[in-house]
Amino acid sequence: MPLRRRLTIAFMLAVGVSAAALALGSYFVVRHNLMSDSVASSERQARRNLAIAPTYLRLGTGQLLAAYERGGAGFLTVGMRQGRPFSSRFMGIRQVPAGLRRLVDRGELGYERTDVAGIHYLVVGGRVGGDTQLYFFFSEQGLRHDLALLRNILAGGVGILVLLAGFAGALLARQTLRPVGRASDAARSLAEGLLETRLPVEGRDEFGSWAQSFNEMAAALETKIADLSAAQARERRFTADVAHELRTPLTALVGEASLLAEHLGSMPPESRRPAELLVADVGRLRRLVEDLMEISRFDAGQESVHAESVELGALTEATIRARGLDESVQLQTEDVELTSDPRRLERIIANLVGNAVEHGGNEVAVRVGLEGGPFVEVADRGPGIPREHLPHLFERFYKADAARSGGGTGLGLAIAQENARLLGGRIEVWSEPGEGTRFTLRL
Amino acid sequence: MDEHVLLVEDDPSIREVASLGLEQAGFRVTASGDGRDALVRFRQGPFDLVVLDVMLPSLDGLEVCREIRRESRTPIVMLSARSELHDVVVGLELGADDYVTKPFELPELVARIKAVLRRSTPGPADGAISVAGLEIDPAAFSVRKGGEDVALTATEFRLLLELARRPRQVFTRELLLELVWNYDYLGDSRLVDVAVQRLRGKIEDDPAQPKLIQTVRGVGYRFGQG
Repeated sequence: MPLRRRLTIAFMLAVGVSAAALALGSYFVVRHNLMSDSVASSERQARRNLAIAPTYLRLGTGQLLAAYERGGAGFLTVGMRQGRPFSSRFMGIRQVPAGLRRLVDRGELGYERTDVAGIHYLVVGGRVGGDTQLYFFFSEQGLRHDLALLRNILAGGVGILVLLAGFAGALLARQTLRPVGRASDAARSLAEGLLETRLPVEGRDEFGSWAQSFNEMAAALETKIADLSAAQARERRFTADVAHELRTPLTALVGEASLLAEHLGSMPPESRRPAELLVADVGRLRRLVEDLMEISRFDAGQESVHAESVELGALTEATIRARGLDESVQLQTEDVELTSDPRRLERIIANLVGNAVEHGGNEVAVRVGLEGGPFVEVADRGPGIPREHLPHLFERFYKADAARSGGGTGLGLAIAQENARLLGGRIEVWSEPGEGTRFTLRL
Repeated sequence: MDEHVLLVEDDPSIREVASLGLEQAGFRVTASGDGRDALVRFRQGPFDLVVLDVMLPSLDGLEVCREIRRESRTPIVMLSARSELHDVVVGLELGADDYVTKPFELPELVARIKAVLRRSTPGPADGAISVAGLEIDPAAFSVRKGGEDVALTATEFRLLLELARRPRQVFTRELLLELVWNYDYLGDSRLVDVAVQRLRGKIEDDPAQPKLIQTVRGVGYRFGQG
């Protein structure tokens, strides 16, 4: 149950219980007093009636009843004279409670409450002389009615109070819990990356100081993340700058090396080997710088997609042939046509196939298919990659082990993955040491 | 062959090694390291081809390209870093014929230059054709539309010739890259698209609603009659 509803209900219960206790208490006090008053006044009247009774009794019971009626009495009379009952209208000796009759027989003045035909009476009885008992029926209908009214008023009052308490409680709970709701909204928006989110600090209560702490935390987080991303941006800009600055001398180097490469044959033996190595190393440096530049273009979000209609199988085949890898690759294709950027696809496929040939020797199988969307699968039967390296394979400069570092720049798979992402796809890897490795480009 | 190449590149090392490479490949090379200087030298020409770096002091490569195109149809090959490829598109739109990205190996540059030069040399099978109101004469490198000369660059001319020789045949971009630009492998299809745009601008009555060179969506282009 939500805290808000629980708080509301608790508040309603507290108010309801105390109001009910108060109402019951007052009701019983009032009832007791009214009842006692009723008894006292009825007794007074009964004593008076008994006092005048002997005078009229001498004239007969009828005279007595007539005298009582003349007095305009608000009571009905039942009597017993020498074992014979007499009474005013509507009433008989049978209606006198037996307990009271026994009491009166002993000569005492007594009273008892009884209902006759649905009407509440207070019966007061007493003895006159030795042979006559008189019972006076005082109606308590008015009293009962008043008490019922009071009961209803009190019950209604309690009900209204409980309802009011419900409203007030809900309001109060909302008021109290609003900071909690706001805080959870704020935490959510913070989690969604809106780091500038802050809570209003209202009042000096616990919520106020808590909001303050929350804000301090958010501010610290914001600063920290801003610092981190600034550092990361600096680092990436630096990489981009370095790559950029390297490009001009590298272009010269690559040109010079390519010129040198044409004349290796005419060189004296002592300079020929170093020149060969130089040419090879310039090639390596070129690949590294080009990869670095490419990855920093990805970081800068400068890469764009030039989509056109592509036949994936034909493209894969052309890629493999152009790299002179068709000798070592078994290609199996079906018709897969899609709209994508052929140059990026070519880059990815060339990287995956190149890796596979480097590590898997001559048993590389490439499959182009359509199950679960267009895919290119490159499988080798090389030594495989230990499981613990698999999650890091697409990280920059991650070297699974010395054996796999080979001649690559350490950026190939990272670039391939970035390219795949740019095309709305991804590269998956499966590997089992001893069995081989399988990379799948899914588009 | 002894063709005369104007090489415009601001970095002295790249300039020198490229000059060396081009000379060894049999070209006569005039080198310049600055945009304004390059224009002055160009006007002293004549040159068979210009190799033009995008980033240049005093006047950048794109401006130089624009100036050269204003007065001549001498083939232009741009040099650019991969990160400046958007400049290359601008260069192509200004009328450059091809581009090479830095860093490049000299055989690559030489191959591109030769491919571009081949476009400006008539082939043995190139007879004059007259189609859809156009008179195309490969021997004279002239195109007349309604009796008036249309000035086309070598690339635009070769593109028009390939398309017009087989009217209604659909050419993929890859095929055009092979036929016109001599790429035997994935070239940049923007070369084709930009050249088609330029060509339309010169020979179509309404370039926005091309009738002569029609786009075949998702495939490529074809020469339509009418």
